[in-house]
Amino acid sequence: MHRLWNRIDFAFSSAWQNFWRNAAVSVASVLIVWVVLLALGSLLLVLHSLDQIVALEKTKASAISVYLADTTPLSSAMDFKLHLEQDPRVTNVTYVSKDQALARFRQLPALDPSVIDTLGTNPLPASLDVTVRDIRDLGAIDQEVRTSPLVDKSPATNYEPNVIDKIILLARVAGIAGLVLIIGLTGLSVFIIMLTIRTAIYLRRKEIEVMKLVGATDWFVRWPFIVEGLIVGVIGAVVAVVIVGFGYRPAVINLQSVLIFVPLAFDPSYLRVVLAAMLGFGLLLGSVGSYLGVRRFLKQ
Amino acid sequence: MATIIPAAPQISLDHVQKTYPNGTVALRDVTLEIPKQDFVFLVGPSGAGKSTLVRLLIREEKATTGTIRVEGQDLSRLKRRHLPYLRRKIGMVFQDFKLLPNLTVFQNVGFALRVTEGALRHLKPKVEEVLSIVGLEGKENKYPDQLSGGEQQRVAIARALVHDPRIFLADEPTGNLDPATSWEIIQLLLQINARGTTVLMATHNREIVDVMRRRVVAIEGGQIVRDEDAGGYHAPALESH
Repeated sequence: MHRLWNRIDFAFSSAWQNFWRNAAVSVASVLIVWVVLLALGSLLLVLHSLDQIVALEKTKASAISVYLADTTPLSSAMDFKLHLEQDPRVTNVTYVSKDQALARFRQLPALDPSVIDTLGTNPLPASLDVTVRDIRDLGAIDQEVRTSPLVDKSPATNYEPNVIDKIILLARVAGIAGLVLIIGLTGLSVFIIMLTIRTAIYLRRKEIEVMKLVGATDWFVRWPFIVEGLIVGVIGAVVAVVIVGFGYRPAVINLQSVLIFVPLAFDPSYLRVVLAAMLGFGLLLGSVGSYLGVRRFLKQ
Repeated sequence: MATIIPAAPQISLDHVQKTYPNGTVALRDVTLEIPKQDFVFLVGPSGAGKSTLVRLLIREEKATTGTIRVEGQDLSRLKRRHLPYLRRKIGMVFQDFKLLPNLTVFQNVGFALRVTEGALRHLKPKVEEVLSIVGLEGKENKYPDQLSGGEQQRVAIARALVHDPRIFLADEPTGNLDPATSWEIIQLLLQINARGTTVLMATHNREIVDVMRRRVVAIEGGQIVRDEDAGGYHAPALESH
């Protein structure tokens, strides 16, 4: 017990001394770890949001809203509804009045209701929400309804055939770019931690010489430097975790108010996973960097 | 220590050759036996191979050919992870003391126990014990630069004694000291030897070797040229047969 405690005490007090003895280098390695983890955390959250959007868009993909001109009388709208319902490709048609559309619009997250109230009149059109059996028929139906004089012209429908493909492409590009960035930064941070440990070993070369001379084991000599790498990883990770942990929710709320029609959501359970991953990755960076540092420079 | 064969010498070199990677032959066919509690001077000009021999004994270097045994242990077969335990049986001091300037006398000596995972509660009495052997009571809280050269070498000797070594290797321990101080260090090594520790001292100090009349092993050009009990620094001029 005493021996173990001596070992831990020696490793931590030496590591802490090393950290401050070459503070400039230590701070540089903490910064690079911090940047890597910030990039990692942000990327994971962005990709997760894009995934959520794709999933939501896919459920909406079998439906199309046909916007009706404000001049269309209700009876004509009902005739049009009946006409569409008789189409074999269509499974369901729902009429949404201007008032219902406004009520729906008010429920969008992060939208200030007073914005609409200041408009005075209701700018939203009434619509027929058409659900189809096979989403491949959506394009043809879209083409047909656009020719009807009852339909609003700007815009006629909410049909956007490529939106899912576009989001998936965006997610893929963001994912690959982020991954390349993170791999590059990871290599850089491991290298910088290695240099930090090398500096610490250089500053302690006399002590290491004496330690080996009086019979300290290789691992007793190595532990302080491994611990120093872990300290670098932990500090970098904690700062990044705090920023991402407290910044995610405000970021989502701000984006929601800008991208009103994008179904962006705050996901606290996923956030916890991301924060844990960041902390783990920080420890990994610290231990790999310091292991490489001691492996190369403590061999006889 | 079940591995020790009772009659075997404590240190033995059997046809040892050491060739460095650059081709320099530092030791050539060296055969030497040192029994327990012996006191041996290792003499010879600089570059003769004395330091190489010392480095081989603590396995800082491996012999190219031949066998070296220390405490019954074949050093060529010693695994790297067992090396620290060999070092704990061998106390070492050098010409340049190798003290840590930012630690006090007490801490320098205690350092050897701390880094070898000795239990901390035994540290203080042990450090006090070895400091009293070398006569440095009262100097525990001084830093190396506040001490004379002789005192610094005493701290190094105290540090080498904390593991109760069976073998004491001194590589030019008096090289940086004036004659009077050198004699004090020699007295200390004799005292350590009298307590049952084998002492091997590599030295240039002709006066000490000549006065002591102890066993002398002379090395020149990597070879043992003389090995005599109660010898002098140089071979007797008139020894003919």
